[in-house]
Amino acid sequence: MNETHEIKARVFYSKTKQACYIAHLDTIDIICKALRRLQLPYQVTQGHHVRPKISFGSPLPLGHASRCEQFVLCLESMVDDQWLKEGLSQQLPDGMDIISVELPCKEEKKGANGDLVDYTFGFTSPETAEKAGEFLSNPETTFSLVSKGRMKEYRLGQALQAINKSSDGNLQLINARFIQGKPEVPSVSKIVTALAEFLGEQKDNLVQIERVSLTKL
Amino acid sequence: MKKVTDHITHWELLQIEKPARYLGGEVNQAQPKQNPELKICLVFPDLYELGMSNLAIKIFYETLNADPRLQAERAFSPWVDFEKLLRHKNLPLFSLETGTPLNQFDVIFVTLPYEMTFTNVLNLLDLGNIPLTWQERAEGPLVIAGGPSASNPLPVSLFMDAVVIGDGEEVIHEICEFLIEARKSGATREETRKKLTAIESVWVPQFPGKVRRRVYKGFADSAPPLKPVIPNVQAIHNRAALEIFRGCIKGCRFCNAGYYYRPKRERSVDNLVKYSQELLNNTGEESLGLLSLSTSDYCNLDELISRLDRNKLYAEQSISIPSMRMNENTLKLLDTAPHIRKGGLTFAPEAGTQKLRDIINKNITEEDIISVVKATNNSAYRTLKLYFMMGLPFETAEDIEGIADLVLRIEDISRTLKPRKQISISLSGFVPKPFTPFQWSPQASIEEFREKRIFVRQKLQNSKAKVSWREEYLCMLEAVLSRGDERVSKLILEAFKAGCKFDGWNEHFTRSGWEKAFEICQLDPQEYLQQKPIADPLPWDFVDFQVPRAYLEKEYRAAAEIAGVTDL
Repeated sequence: MNETHEIKARVFYSKTKQACYIAHLDTIDIICKALRRLQLPYQVTQGHHVRPKISFGSPLPLGHASRCEQFVLCLESMVDDQWLKEGLSQQLPDGMDIISVELPCKEEKKGANGDLVDYTFGFTSPETAEKAGEFLSNPETTFSLVSKGRMKEYRLGQALQAINKSSDGNLQLINARFIQGKPEVPSVSKIVTALAEFLGEQKDNLVQIERVSLTKL
Repeated sequence: MKKVTDHITHWELLQIEKPARYLGGEVNQAQPKQNPELKICLVFPDLYELGMSNLAIKIFYETLNADPRLQAERAFSPWVDFEKLLRHKNLPLFSLETGTPLNQFDVIFVTLPYEMTFTNVLNLLDLGNIPLTWQERAEGPLVIAGGPSASNPLPVSLFMDAVVIGDGEEVIHEICEFLIEARKSGATREETRKKLTAIESVWVPQFPGKVRRRVYKGFADSAPPLKPVIPNVQAIHNRAALEIFRGCIKGCRFCNAGYYYRPKRERSVDNLVKYSQELLNNTGEESLGLLSLSTSDYCNLDELISRLDRNKLYAEQSISIPSMRMNENTLKLLDTAPHIRKGGLTFAPEAGTQKLRDIINKNITEEDIISVVKATNNSAYRTLKLYFMMGLPFETAEDIEGIADLVLRIEDISRTLKPRKQISISLSGFVPKPFTPFQWSPQASIEEFREKRIFVRQKLQNSKAKVSWREEYLCMLEAVLSRGDERVSKLILEAFKAGCKFDGWNEHFTRSGWEKAFEICQLDPQEYLQQKPIADPLPWDFVDFQVPRAYLEKEYRAAAEIAGVTDL
């Protein structure tokens, strides 16, 4: 059997401002079009419907900003990583930017034991930040959400791994580390939805929800 | 200045389906200019995903923004959830580029692609804080419409400051040029409207007179939009759009577009190959759509396809041909072009018998249809969709039976093919359109349409073909809206007041709203649906369509002759 020589590039990108309202599948479409415009020598799949050989990380919930999105792309030949970073950045819509390119990239863990995810929450009101901190810090916090058409009960449990507070100008920040992708552990997306419900009208003071890093375990 | 979107919170946006529809910031979006001489909003009266696929919007956006004096932005109909939010927060509808409320533009150009968007136009104006009728608009932007559904401008005459009839490429720039001058000279709104009548193909409801359809004679040598905005929400047609020719030579007697876009003007293969490279380079679209009313009628289609194949920019690039005729060219294409996207084939035989196809001048034979079906053997095509019309002029019971018979014959043949084809048919009621030979024809009643549809379905009850149909009331309404006079403007206004919008969307169509509007306006739909005597003047006779009425009459008589009818 012939062995194909694969060069893999891991591309880290951000989604902020209005781009955080672009859905995951649309994001994939936007990135694939950007790669074609850049005329990057990428490999394609061998199926009936030929596509760029590319794999994306865990979907970012709609409305969450991120500084740690990534995809891995198989290339036909080596390219300059700086050229790739700058060229691709210019091809993306407002709010999406390439942060860095790892080329060639190392294999990453499969994430069979879940992901560790760092988030930053920004609040315009210290009281709301305090209230949110109490909600997140308590492992006994329970909430109900509709999942697959049925109301389901969740417990925060071990979802929150660490939490600290800081400030940035007028914003009160909560930096929280979550674990997700494990059985019976609610995803960050669900926790944020529950937090917003818990905050009620004060949720309008929660103005920044940003995924800062994601590590596969 | 704060953008309208600054007043909408993150949590409110999250309650909205696909919020990216409303936020702009796409690749290739025009950059705002410092103090443009004219601020233009291009409005498409349907959802973002549909509007972003519309060719007219792409053409005007690119050519207007290429002029340093002009700033053209976009606005689309908000979906009901976002409309509710805007109304709840008392916020105006705004443009995607700068978040500017519609009423702060100098001119709004509205594309009218189909009649069922008329109430959406009113909704857009209302949401943009623009008075709905031209009489009420003493200030604010001029509202100017164009597009195939404005070919008879009377149904929208109450709402528009002006209506453009025909190709818009040249006239839109002439209007902008004129408006810049009018602003400088301090012309009143009435003076501005009056002077707009001097521009060929511009019809002004306040000063109604004769108007001539504009034909863009330079089309063949013109460049198509080469750097369109890349949508942030996947558009309904997710492809790079390359219009290869405009117009149609076939002369189907029911088809408004066939007459609206006359004459046929083709771009050259050399230019199209060059444009396709630039277009794909600028968009990165996987698929290149070769657009026209009937792409298989392009003179050098074989050469075009093979050169596009040879000049592929990326491995996954494919060609999509959304409008094909069942003829020899199509057969050749199926055999030879390896990179044509082969999902499903869609054709429109329109009628079930040869006699009726001859009457409507749909120049395909049953042999053509069968040959194309057989040609899909051992190909990747898996689905075959066929469009039929019911209630066509001079139609008989035999013709309706013919629809089911033809489908059954196709199904028989498809059983012998690999892979086996899934056949689906779509039934729609015939809508007589102005400026076609059938403009005088009556429309069948809703009951007749229903009976015919039920008959076809029953005949196909043992068939595996999927049958879908268009709601009969919509067909009736489309006939009223397209053959309407000034009174239909009032009808549209009342329907809008009764809550009608997104009339083309089944889930939003409100029949009771339209029935109420007919009642308030004391209009009998039948008046618009019945046979029109050839000798009588037609409401839209003031439009010189560049297709003589005598020719349409001759064609109508030719159709009648085939049917054996002499008394029209």
